[in-house]
Amino acid sequence: MTSDRSGDGLPWGERVALWDAALDSVRRYLRAEGMREVSTPVRVAGVAVEPFIEPLTAPPGYLATSPEMVMKRLLCRGSGSIFQVSHVFRASEVGAHHSEEFHLIEWYRLGAPLAVARGDVESLVDAAFAAAGRAPVGSWSTFGVLELIERTLGCGLRGDEGAEELALESARRGLPLRVAGLDDPSPEVRRLAAWTAFISEWSDAHLDPWLERRGGGVHVCDFPPALAALSEIREVDGRASAARFESFVDGVELANGYQELRDPAEQAARFAAVAGLRRAHGAPVLPVDEGFLADLRGFGLPACAGVALGLDRLLMLAVGATRLEQVSTALSVAGRLDA
Amino acid sequence: MDVSDLRKNAKLEIDGQPYVVVDFQFVKPGKGQGLYKCKIKNMITGAVLDRTWRSGERLEAANVESRKMQYLYSTGESFTFMDSETFEQVELAADIVGSDANFLLDNLDCDILFYNERPVGLSMSSHVVMEIVEAEPGVKGDTATGVTKQAKVSTGYEIQVPLFIKVGERVKIDTRTGAYVERVNN
Repeated sequence: MTSDRSGDGLPWGERVALWDAALDSVRRYLRAEGMREVSTPVRVAGVAVEPFIEPLTAPPGYLATSPEMVMKRLLCRGSGSIFQVSHVFRASEVGAHHSEEFHLIEWYRLGAPLAVARGDVESLVDAAFAAAGRAPVGSWSTFGVLELIERTLGCGLRGDEGAEELALESARRGLPLRVAGLDDPSPEVRRLAAWTAFISEWSDAHLDPWLERRGGGVHVCDFPPALAALSEIREVDGRASAARFESFVDGVELANGYQELRDPAEQAARFAAVAGLRRAHGAPVLPVDEGFLADLRGFGLPACAGVALGLDRLLMLAVGATRLEQVSTALSVAGRLDA
Repeated sequence: MDVSDLRKNAKLEIDGQPYVVVDFQFVKPGKGQGLYKCKIKNMITGAVLDRTWRSGERLEAANVESRKMQYLYSTGESFTFMDSETFEQVELAADIVGSDANFLLDNLDCDILFYNERPVGLSMSSHVVMEIVEAEPGVKGDTATGVTKQAKVSTGYEIQVPLFIKVGERVKIDTRTGAYVERVNN
């Protein structure tokens, strides 16, 4: 199915000017910070497997859901700090803030701590806002996930709860978990299932409304270890914590940053847990990116911070729009539009 | 069906009842489960509910189809419709037809909804044209707008119409609200 999606957004000439100015300022900033631009394939043999992200198939491979795997292989092979503005695809994600195809700005800074990566997010948001003639966000706030859980639910979690305990605690707080995998034989799969479902229910019921009321720029960091995804786990205040953050502006999620996990064995174990959760809820089996794991083992990933930032959402916010198609330059799109 | 197949107008079966999705919103926090927030309407009772499904859940698609049929007659307790191609006749109970009965003229074309081959509902066009059979005489010279009088149409339905409407004239009625819309000139 194809359809015109001009919607009720910016006039076409203004959209083209907006994208041109924003792409230019994004590239200028990242180059000035010492990163090289790369352009990696859109069709790939394997994607970064996630419990609830489905790739579009492009036989004999897939359309990339993120450029992460390929960019990390370049980092392993000595690229130095790099960035990319890439087209990425996620099946069946259609809504005001979702589109099956969108743009990610993805960058990796060698040897940088996460605070520097958060600073990049702030600078890129302001650069895009300036390109659209909007004033900068101003001051940003940073909160730990557990702190926000306590603040919004009235009583806290430790972050290391197992599946059964978390499901019980969550139900007591009015957030029953509805996810397959809570009874999986593997404790890693059960834990991943419970925490993934908990964070989804909590975000929808508490975090998102709180962020919308608060407005402005917020980084949410220090995730429970079960939600580490591809980030390193570190000790923070005596407890294990995933070194990652998510950035929001006016309640809209814009970016996801990691202190990148470098241990190949740990990486393979996390892929296995994700595959187990996917199996539990009947998602298609996806191949493990063996080339990526081989590069982690063979060359090693240099210490780095990496961030992915959704450019379409950023431009939507920059012009005060509320739906992605109001700023999109896609005159017609193949795929679902009926959200 | 998988929840990712949800969209507006999708027809679902829940607890043995057919529902249609009338509104649909997809949200997905971070790397979490997608939430499909839907308003669904019971196709038999018309009741509207909010339901949220999570990615990974499965749904039952409802076996619902709609067929064009003509209204034939009523016994008071039930209403009979006919497929004008196959001449097949079906009956709908009066409580399912509800207030739509006010607008059922002989031979009127309607959409009859079948759920698992059983007729469960009626959907008629948003406007019908009906003849006035009784009305108080208009007061000459009174042209004030918004002033209405009681009138009756050929099905016996009573309606408020402007003062200038006379017996024998035809009027357009909104079947969703039951209100007069305009006079129809021949």
